Amino acid sequence: MLELVDLSKKFKQLYAVKNVNMFVERGEIIGLLGPNGAGKSTAISMISSLAEPTSGDVRFHNESILKKPGDFRNIVGVIPQEIALYTDLTADENLQFFGRMYRLKGSTLKNKINEILDLVGLTDRRKDVVKTFSGGMKRRLNIGVALLHDPELLIMDEPTVGIDPQSRNYILETVKRLNKERDMTVIYTSHYMEEVEFLCDRIYIMDHGNLIASGTNEEIKRILSSEKTISIKSDQLNEQFISLIQEHPLVNRVVTTDKEITLMVAKEVSMFVELTKFAEQAGIELTSVHNRTPTLEDVFLHLTGRALRD
Amino acid sequence: MIGQIIKKQALEFLRNPVQLLLLVGLPIILILILGVALSGFMNGESPVIKVKLAILEQESEEVQLERFADDLGEELPTEAIEEMENILPIERLKQDVLGSEEASKYITLEEISSEDKERVLNDNTYTALIEVPENFSYEILQYWFSAEEKRSSVHLYTNTEHQLGVSIVDGILTQYQDQLTLHSFINEKQIDPVVFEENLQNVTADVSTMGQQRAVSSKDYYTVGMAVMNVLFIASTIGSIAFLEKSTFVFDRIILANVSRWTYFIGILLSGMIFAFLHLLLIFGFAWIVFGVTWPNLFGFTFVTMSFAIAVGGIAVLLTALCYRLNSEVITNFFSSILVSLMALLGGSFFPIGDSSAFISKMGNVTPNGAGMSAYLSILRGNELSDVTNHVVFLLLFGVISIIVAAWSFPKRGAAL
Ligand SMILES: Nc1ncnc2c1ncn2[C@@H]1O[C@H](COP(=O)(O)OP(=O)(O)O)[C@@H](O)[C@H]1O
Ligand SMILES: [Mg+2]
Repeated sequence: MLELVDLSKKFKQLYAVKNVNMFVERGEIIGLLGPNGAGKSTAISMISSLAEPTSGDVRFHNESILKKPGDFRNIVGVIPQEIALYTDLTADENLQFFGRMYRLKGSTLKNKINEILDLVGLTDRRKDVVKTFSGGMKRRLNIGVALLHDPELLIMDEPTVGIDPQSRNYILETVKRLNKERDMTVIYTSHYMEEVEFLCDRIYIMDHGNLIASGTNEEIKRILSSEKTISIKSDQLNEQFISLIQEHPLVNRVVTTDKEITLMVAKEVSMFVELTKFAEQAGIELTSVHNRTPTLEDVFLHLTGRALRD
Repeated sequence: MIGQIIKKQALEFLRNPVQLLLLVGLPIILILILGVALSGFMNGESPVIKVKLAILEQESEEVQLERFADDLGEELPTEAIEEMENILPIERLKQDVLGSEEASKYITLEEISSEDKERVLNDNTYTALIEVPENFSYEILQYWFSAEEKRSSVHLYTNTEHQLGVSIVDGILTQYQDQLTLHSFINEKQIDPVVFEENLQNVTADVSTMGQQRAVSSKDYYTVGMAVMNVLFIASTIGSIAFLEKSTFVFDRIILANVSRWTYFIGILLSGMIFAFLHLLLIFGFAWIVFGVTWPNLFGFTFVTMSFAIAVGGIAVLLTALCYRLNSEVITNFFSSILVSLMALLGGSFFPIGDSSAFISKMGNVTPNGAGMSAYLSILRGNELSDVTNHVVFLLLFGVISIIVAAWSFPKRGAAL
């Protein structure tokens, strides 16, 4: 249905997106996963025909969308990363305005608005000014506006950033429903791997403008079949402990946060004895040590040496 | 579609009461403050223009008249002499023209002697000095009664810094001299003082038409000044709203709905024009009801308002286009924080700055608000639309050129990034 061919976008010296190849089949939910600054939004803006690629192409049913963006725009719904709404207007007025932009009128528009308000759970707040909405409600309306013209393809750029867990679940469920009940194809961008794991049939992982992995959830995790992840937690982590681990010859990668160290070792290596010894040397107490099954996060760590979340 | 965009713009205006209050309430408060506080400076009902005028007669007209009567050789009846006394040109100029009730509202006339000449010429508060040479009235009398061509003329020293005042004095004198010279036909009719009298009354009548122009009070002045200044903020507000649409990606949504960017462009332009028009009507309407600022020529007023609104719409769309092109609101901010004040100052919104120099007056008239102000003031004084054609044409041209530049710089592609 949709294909990205060697898609690149360069800002001055920086390649925000570099030689990205992707395909999307009808009815799929495709995940685009990557940390902040990976180039997801830049890719999305080219896919949605808003920005021109520096090189490469986006093809829809084998035709470049650059040549006839109009036809493509009629079937695509784009949910920008930002709240692209008139915050001084009510939910109703926003839907009304954008509906009219989509050339909907009269009872068709009225029914559509009712349907969307119901879908995103904002019927009882329809007469309220968007400014007064919570983050989650704004996000939901942001999605609703993109559904006014019944798009075949829905492109969502981080639709769950900065909202409460209930709204987040609501949104994820809604995406699933749209895909199942209306056969909507979805491109879903996020830097939360759980979301992508939960929703997506296939996943593309981006970093620094490059695609670094792609495939189904299982396929991607298989990259780590020869490694395992150990997670160590402690309130007292110190420099000495960390450097002892980093210098250990069998440890492949280490990522540290405030209270957690994640390290990767070959599957057959056991580190428990060494870790206990290191803790003693460094004079700290460990809260927990876990062997974990690999996650997409671990794949990212394996491929880039950095954590997915910043 | 365009209607929807304008409707949406209107909603955004109405949903921001603070902004609305600033746009509409502030000028009203300013009119009140400036109009009242500076009414002394403007002298209430009296016109804005103040002309301090000195007149220097090198020789008394009485003496010249006696000489003229003597030189006629024959004995004239006292009545004839008395009639002639009534038509002495400089006396009439002083009494009936410059000293008329209307003229004296803005002209202060001071009679000086030769010793004072130097002082007056060096004093910047004087607008002009009229110097009447010796024998002037004698020669005028001779010209009237004996058609002798040898005539000297009045000398006018002017203070170029009082550009407006000078043009008034100059206008009065030119008209007066034309009247004086017109009367050669009187020759043929022999001495008939009554006719001169009538003709001189024509002169005064002409001058008083000038005086009959409605005086512009300080409230009138500041109503116009504040209205033409504040309406510029409509343009910058629309520019800001439009840029917000870009930075929040709402504009992208509009483009994604397959709406032409030119539809959007026209929506911005029309809302700028319509809101500017309504804003002006609101301010002037309010000033009319509350401050009694009335318009003698409603057609002229409406036409000027429409032209001005077109210019403001042009500014709105130009600011929008530049912000979109530069992807920054800096232009709009500069416009509303600095440029508007500067233009308002030049245009005369705060005080009649143009009176201080011809150059500034010209500069003021090439700002849209200054041109609007000149046009409005002229209409307020009772002039016709045809008297302000230059300003109206300027406003329309300004609007059209702004629109063209805006259309040319409005980005054609690459909306999102
Ligand atoms: N308009 C732009 N001009 C210059 N650099 C940009 C622009 N937009 C994005 N970038 C840069 O491109 C990179 C990718 O950004 P983006 O696509 O927003 O990442 P993501 O959506 O994955 O967080 C970042 O380094 C960002 O700073
Ligand atoms: Mg992004």
